[in-house]
Amino acid sequence: MSWNRVAVVGAGLIKFGELFEQSYEQMAAGAFAAAVDSVDEGFEPIQVEAAFVATQRGTLWGQEGIGGNTIPTAIGLAGIPCTRIENACPSGSDAFRVGAMAVASGVHDVVLVIGVEKMRDKSADEGLLSRAAAGHPIFTRGETAPVLFAPFATRHMHEFGTTREMLASVAVKNHHNGALDPYAHFQNEITIDDVLKSPPVCSPLHLLDCCPQTDGAAATLLVSAEIAERYTKKPVFVAGFGVATDHPYLHEKTSFTAMKATQLAAERAYAMAGIEPGLIDCAEVHDCFTITEILDIEDLGFVDKGKGGVASLEGDTSLTGRIPINTSGGLLAKGHPIGATGVAQIVECWWQLRGEADERQVETPNGYALQHNVGGRGSGVSVINILTNNAS
Amino acid sequence: MTPAVQLLAVGAAAPAWRLDAADVGAAWSRGGRGQAGVCAPDEDVLTLAAEAAGRALAASGLQTDIVDGLWWGTARPPFAEGPSHAVLARAIGLSQRSGGSLCSGSPHAGMEALLSAADAIGAGTARVAVVVVSDALVPGNGTPFEARAGAGAAAVVLVSHGGNAMLTERVTRTQPFLDRYRGDGEADTRDLYDPRLFREEIFLPTMRELGEQLVALAGPEDAIRAWSLPDPDGRLGATVAKHLDVTTNASAGVYSELGDTGAAAALLGGIGALDTAGTVAIVGTGGGRTTGVTIKVKDPVRGAAAIGGVLAGGRAASYAEVLRARGQLVPSGETVQMGVPPQSAQFVRGADEMLGLLGARCVDCGTINTPPSIHPHCISCGSAKFVLEPLARHGRVHTFVVNQTMPPPFVAPLPIAVVDLDDGARVMLQGIGDGSDISIGTEVELVLRRYAHERGVPVYGYKVRPMERP
Repeated sequence: MSWNRVAVVGAGLIKFGELFEQSYEQMAAGAFAAAVDSVDEGFEPIQVEAAFVATQRGTLWGQEGIGGNTIPTAIGLAGIPCTRIENACPSGSDAFRVGAMAVASGVHDVVLVIGVEKMRDKSADEGLLSRAAAGHPIFTRGETAPVLFAPFATRHMHEFGTTREMLASVAVKNHHNGALDPYAHFQNEITIDDVLKSPPVCSPLHLLDCCPQTDGAAATLLVSAEIAERYTKKPVFVAGFGVATDHPYLHEKTSFTAMKATQLAAERAYAMAGIEPGLIDCAEVHDCFTITEILDIEDLGFVDKGKGGVASLEGDTSLTGRIPINTSGGLLAKGHPIGATGVAQIVECWWQLRGEADERQVETPNGYALQHNVGGRGSGVSVINILTNNAS
Repeated sequence: MTPAVQLLAVGAAAPAWRLDAADVGAAWSRGGRGQAGVCAPDEDVLTLAAEAAGRALAASGLQTDIVDGLWWGTARPPFAEGPSHAVLARAIGLSQRSGGSLCSGSPHAGMEALLSAADAIGAGTARVAVVVVSDALVPGNGTPFEARAGAGAAAVVLVSHGGNAMLTERVTRTQPFLDRYRGDGEADTRDLYDPRLFREEIFLPTMRELGEQLVALAGPEDAIRAWSLPDPDGRLGATVAKHLDVTTNASAGVYSELGDTGAAAALLGGIGALDTAGTVAIVGTGGGRTTGVTIKVKDPVRGAAAIGGVLAGGRAASYAEVLRARGQLVPSGETVQMGVPPQSAQFVRGADEMLGLLGARCVDCGTINTPPSIHPHCISCGSAKFVLEPLARHGRVHTFVVNQTMPPPFVAPLPIAVVDLDDGARVMLQGIGDGSDISIGTEVELVLRRYAHERGVPVYGYKVRPMERP
């Protein structure tokens, strides 16, 4: 490889939730402070050479078209380079990838990647649900977020016999994990019956099959591996990443049982890291809806195509299962502040690989954790980052 | 002698909902008998007209691009001023050179459209004419005729030769009186007169005189076999029939199914009778004008036998649902606006592909890309060589959802389906109904519906409708 190795030496986030009392700027400052505080050997903010911020929906808090310049001022570093990355639901993971490339290229030695999203300054009707009227006046009319994923559930159930109980088991598992994660939006356990009996949102998906609307922010500090030891004795390295796109509209998809963008991004990320899916110890994957996690674990190669529902129901993806998925609670329980989501997933992987995930800690014998998002009219773009604690 | 004006084919359309008159009566502390056909929120005079015209054209066996013009009669064009006629013409596949006219102003507009088209055929300026009459009344709340105010559409393909029936006689009477009335800028139709004044001084004398004249003109040789007669209140039609000694009142069944369909009523009430040889009289009235025509049927007219089946059925809707669909019951506060407003260039670029339902077939690999304007390159092979062609209007559901959670103006439940069309194209469109009749593999057809009424502009596109079971 012709790129310089990149280390993550700091990572942190603020408690996710409906943060009515905090501004976008305050959330960003909180996440940055958490990342700075996490650096074992200390970190001076002034060392940040450049920042990449992920914010996907500035329209939700009146900051559309602002770009990246809000962040440096909010974190006390006005003047530094800062670029905003907007790439649908993978905005955070793509900002991380771009930040990693800035270090890998040798242009910068110390980079901040921060994801911030204010989802709840607007009501649901004026916020995400207003998507129903956005986009093409005919061909996407009525297309709220669940419409982008529920057709996959309908088809997956039809082709593989996946049941609503199997879908529900994903939400139950992630709420269990979320209850162990002090940063998660939801801190409560739920049952399969709770999911089945929750109100229908977009059949076959019900309320508890869906992630909430959450405010949040998360940040990571990336440095050149050569200087990592100045900051920590337990660095986590970027092993590889992959990005892929698929046609943007649903009717252009050739399959409703797989997400091609995820499959292609995974292929690229595994190739870059030089590993097979079997070496991944745990993964934070995009579970905006229960069906999405089932598709993800199939498309990422953790289970065979069509077996994602059964694997979930049987506990293969639980904290003690064969391949623990979404130990943080995932989008379903931790929340999905879009730009912050991918960065927060990196934070969880960082903790797992450093053995700092407390009650959620899983075994990491191979030293690899994977982070994944998919989005952009549901499945138009996927970004995957693979982290490792292996020194070489 | 007037050149022959022949009827090649007919078609009809009924709205999706039925309103029980007793439901309306209960709201205003009075009784109510019978029912009316009323539009669901995604239907209006244009979608009904498109469906009726589509059926008549299909029955005619003609290619739509040889039609010389569209004559449309409706008391309530969807754009009070605007491209009503042009949108309908494009939606039913007429060429950009087609002519015709939009007749409006009163329920008599239906007869005016018929006679205008007949005159064009007679004058030789058109050889194939499509006549469409449609209406969807929006009566004032609490008016005596509210429970009988219906919706429906009829269409006739007129030709200069080759039809099984011909237009024979016509009679018109004009008198400057007010009946159903809607002032400039008003949304609701109201009724000004004392019912007895209307009945005794205006309606019955006019009908009697005009009917008797039609009988005389037809003569004993072509004696009128069946009638379509106006019935504005659910009783007057029977009274006129009795006065004229009518044996077959063909329109009575249509009125009992759909109520008063305004400008559509006269033709809609009569075209079902064109399935049998003999003479049929069709009488329409409104706006101070009354016109009667006779049609001499030699052999059954194409499409006539199917009319009764098309009009029957429909889902029972509550008075509140109907008020909401008519825009007489509106949600409080702002509704969510379309991201792309109707004045956007997207509607100019996309007019053909949205109303004409076009796809772009890749010359290299055969994949059909929809809509063409967003696909400069093929989604399958990347080629940039395409041939535009109309999409198939029939296919099967590949997958679907039912959306239960949307802000106003959306109405849940809203099915949305990914459909594989017979020509291999894949589309995703809204479904009609509550989704309970859609599953993977369901056979569906694509029909024009009103997707939104946005910033005062109706926006049309195609929706997926499960095929009626035979």
